Amino acid sequence: MKNLRLFSLELRRLFQSPLALSIIFFTMVSPLAGLIFYKPADADTMLTAYLANPSIAGGAAGGILFGILTVFELDRASRSRTDVLLDAAVSSQSMAAIRLLSLTAAALMTAAAAMAVWFPITRGQIGTVFDGTDYLLSYLLFMGLSLPLGALAGASAYQFTQRADLALVLFAAFAGLSLTVWSDNWQLCWLNPCVWALSDDFSNFRIFRSVAYMRLTWLAALAGLWTLSWMCVRQYGKGIFGSFLRSARRIYRPVIALALLLCSGTAYAAQPLVDHSNPDETVFTFGELEYLEGVVCTGRTAQVFPNLTDGTVTGLASYQFQNTSGQAQKAAFAVTPGYRISSVQINGEEAPFVLGDYQEYNEAMLEVELPAEEAAEVTVEYGGFPQENRNSSAMQGGREISEEYLCLENASLAPRLMNVLPDEKLYPAVIEITLPDSMTVIPFGTGEAEIVSEQEDGTSTWRYEDNGTGGILYAGDYIREDIEAGGITVEFYYGRKHQEVMEEAGAAEAVKAVIDYCTEHYGTLSFGAGGRLKLIESRVVGGGYATEGASLLDEADFTAANLEDGGKGAAAGEVMIHELVHQWWGLGNMFDSSDETSSWSAEGLTVYTTYRIVKELYGEEYAREYYTDQWKQAVDDYYLNFYVRNPEYLDKLPEEKRLEISNSLSYVRQYCEMPLKILKAEELAGGEEAMDEILQKLFNRELDPAYPYLTYEDFLDACGLTEEELNLDENI
Amino acid sequence: MKIYKYECRRLLWNKFFFGIGLVLLFYGWQVLNRVTILGVSRTAPFSPWSFGDYLSRILPLLWAGALFFLSFFTSVRAKRADILTDATPVIPWKYGLARCGAAMTGTGLLTLLCLGEAFVFYGWYFNWYQWEILLPTVTAALIPPLVLGLGSGWLLGRCRPWLLYVWMLFPFMCRVLPLPKALGLWDGRFFTEYPQTLGILDPVFSMPASVIAVQLLAFAAGVLLLVFNRPAGRGTRRF
Repeated sequence: MKNLRLFSLELRRLFQSPLALSIIFFTMVSPLAGLIFYKPADADTMLTAYLANPSIAGGAAGGILFGILTVFELDRASRSRTDVLLDAAVSSQSMAAIRLLSLTAAALMTAAAAMAVWFPITRGQIGTVFDGTDYLLSYLLFMGLSLPLGALAGASAYQFTQRADLALVLFAAFAGLSLTVWSDNWQLCWLNPCVWALSDDFSNFRIFRSVAYMRLTWLAALAGLWTLSWMCVRQYGKGIFGSFLRSARRIYRPVIALALLLCSGTAYAAQPLVDHSNPDETVFTFGELEYLEGVVCTGRTAQVFPNLTDGTVTGLASYQFQNTSGQAQKAAFAVTPGYRISSVQINGEEAPFVLGDYQEYNEAMLEVELPAEEAAEVTVEYGGFPQENRNSSAMQGGREISEEYLCLENASLAPRLMNVLPDEKLYPAVIEITLPDSMTVIPFGTGEAEIVSEQEDGTSTWRYEDNGTGGILYAGDYIREDIEAGGITVEFYYGRKHQEVMEEAGAAEAVKAVIDYCTEHYGTLSFGAGGRLKLIESRVVGGGYATEGASLLDEADFTAANLEDGGKGAAAGEVMIHELVHQWWGLGNMFDSSDETSSWSAEGLTVYTTYRIVKELYGEEYAREYYTDQWKQAVDDYYLNFYVRNPEYLDKLPEEKRLEISNSLSYVRQYCEMPLKILKAEELAGGEEAMDEILQKLFNRELDPAYPYLTYEDFLDACGLTEEELNLDENI
Repeated sequence: MKIYKYECRRLLWNKFFFGIGLVLLFYGWQVLNRVTILGVSRTAPFSPWSFGDYLSRILPLLWAGALFFLSFFTSVRAKRADILTDATPVIPWKYGLARCGAAMTGTGLLTLLCLGEAFVFYGWYFNWYQWEILLPTVTAALIPPLVLGLGSGWLLGRCRPWLLYVWMLFPFMCRVLPLPKALGLWDGRFFTEYPQTLGILDPVFSMPASVIAVQLLAFAAGVLLLVFNRPAGRGTRRF
């Protein structure tokens, strides 16, 4: 009761202290830093820019500020020389605990106040894709939990050293580590969590789980550390060790401290979210396995049951083999780390299996011995939480499994056969997946999923047929729009939350215009065979890919902010055109992007094609005003830029700065200079028709599998021009 | 002189001065590293124009710093201590002069801190040390507004201490309000827009007459406010 009264008094006193009030104020204002200069998350989505960055900045600044406040508050009695009086009235250990509690309470209140203050601002900035759950979880996990961690760290530092200056130095070093050398390690960055993107259109539970896990690990670690430091609070005139030994007489105290530290250590070492893939990504031993002789796979099936609440998957996969070798042989399957194999049966009998510890490219190897019999059916029961590749652990979020979205790729859908060749039917597969009625299942390929049964619990079972050892499946709260264009039917799938933005941008019209134009001028997409093409908007992944019958569009390409980017087109619909043209220049024909400073990239031909489409749609005058004139202006500015005129000064800068400036300049080179060069090439080659013919030939050229990229030299050779002839010095 | 030294120590040897110094250094480095390094109006990062742009961006913080210094003398707590200082055999206007000098010294030191940081930045990244070229820019961009800030702040702080805090927002407002071109040095647009109107690459620093007139007026107003706004003598009613 006395402690409760003291806590209330301490809390009230804290809210009257000018220093505490200033720190509360600055903590509440600190999310502003995430809007202006501190932007650790760099994806182009609205939630990343206006929610993730501000809340991470608020957490980092607030954690530091509350750590400093804690040190000053704990040192207050000693500073004002009232510690002797205070110790006579209340035990120093009780007072330390009460102070920490009141600081933690103040920290949580500050986080709640910041959340309330920033709510309308964030909502206004994000617009229609704003989501209350994402907002709450972001501010709670990215910002809210950082503040008590700062207080715990500050208190521990002070209680060990009992000196404010030393404690501040220790705390600064601890915070500095998180902000610098630990910033790319998702488990160690206690102040600034590793978040690279938040999705606008789909859920973000996977990345929230990762941050929550990191926060809880650190909470246990710092609570354990604080308990140890609390035992060192000086009492009875003793030093650090004397005080510690006296406190340790009550055995539960060191036991609690050790238990907390042990919990934290175990949580760190046995984290379930990221795998242990070989960091050397030049090694691909699974791809070098030799195929079994005399064994073929004649078909496979899989029943998959995702648990959308806890983000796990269970499944039953069976594989039919024909073994004509007359010998028992070991079949190898790739399994996503995090999945456990609960049983393997061969022809209905339990069979031994080995799931290896070695992992590479987010896969582990399961080995099963096939019997010498001619026909064998192997059934694998698997399940668990799919882990992400540790080599991209700073970019988690891809393995999202929720009621809004899931993407199961290859081994995470069902164990992927690695060393058995197919028969003439090329691994025919039948996949069944059970999901809530609200979700639409989209196989990434030519297969069409259909509902085969509806359960009373509000779920439906979908089935589709596929070929291959792996396969990718998307499911989510999608809207489908069918568009007839370029002689094919485009099934355009995009997130329901994005409907308003897509309608404003005229998505369907843009898709039709682009596909009609590009098909007519350059040719059909190789992956649009069979008269149908699925265009699927994916959760933010930082890129796209295509296969026969399907192509991916990253949601980051269609955020409201991106659609307002004048560099990609004059209006929102034109940005959509730009992104769709990338299906031809970027995916249909790939470009080597290893040299980031090069002006030749997928952007040059994409911007040029966008200009041509816009010219056809809106007329020459419009295209000149919003495209060629703007390119010329930007290129004029570029050539007059100080660093372009004086490259020797650019060379004087440190490499990091030099790259930053070169990259900012390369935007103009890729988006404005190269389209102008292509326009000049068009003039020199004989006009638009001639250029269309050249581009058509380039688009449909025979690809070299070892280097399938379209190079600048290929383009120049096709035009019959040299690099010098396309220089813009005189004729901009 | 003794009072001046005392006031200087009171103003400069405390957490606030070091705190605002650190904030200025941090903000200045961010500006230099992210904006100035690119150069403005196609000029070098170390051109008077880019440097002027840097100064115009840190001016609001310097202005706030100067007014914070004045708040040491005009706060309610400071006014309570005036009863004691009034009882000392010091001529009030000399006392005011000493305080004003201390505030100017503090502001000057903060300004030097920012200038020093820019010079370190130029030396570090570009091995460029022709600092004398930048002196006209400093004279034009910083001295008039800071003198005006101190003069007007002195007046406002003596009227109502809280007015100082409102007045701190003035340069921030200038940056967002659509001001006429003659006030270009107050909203920072002068350094990015004027060189482009000159029609040559890397122009030397110059200012049109209207801008010079505005800066001279601001400087004169600041000086007048400082000179004629002396502390009240003994026995007069204080605000």
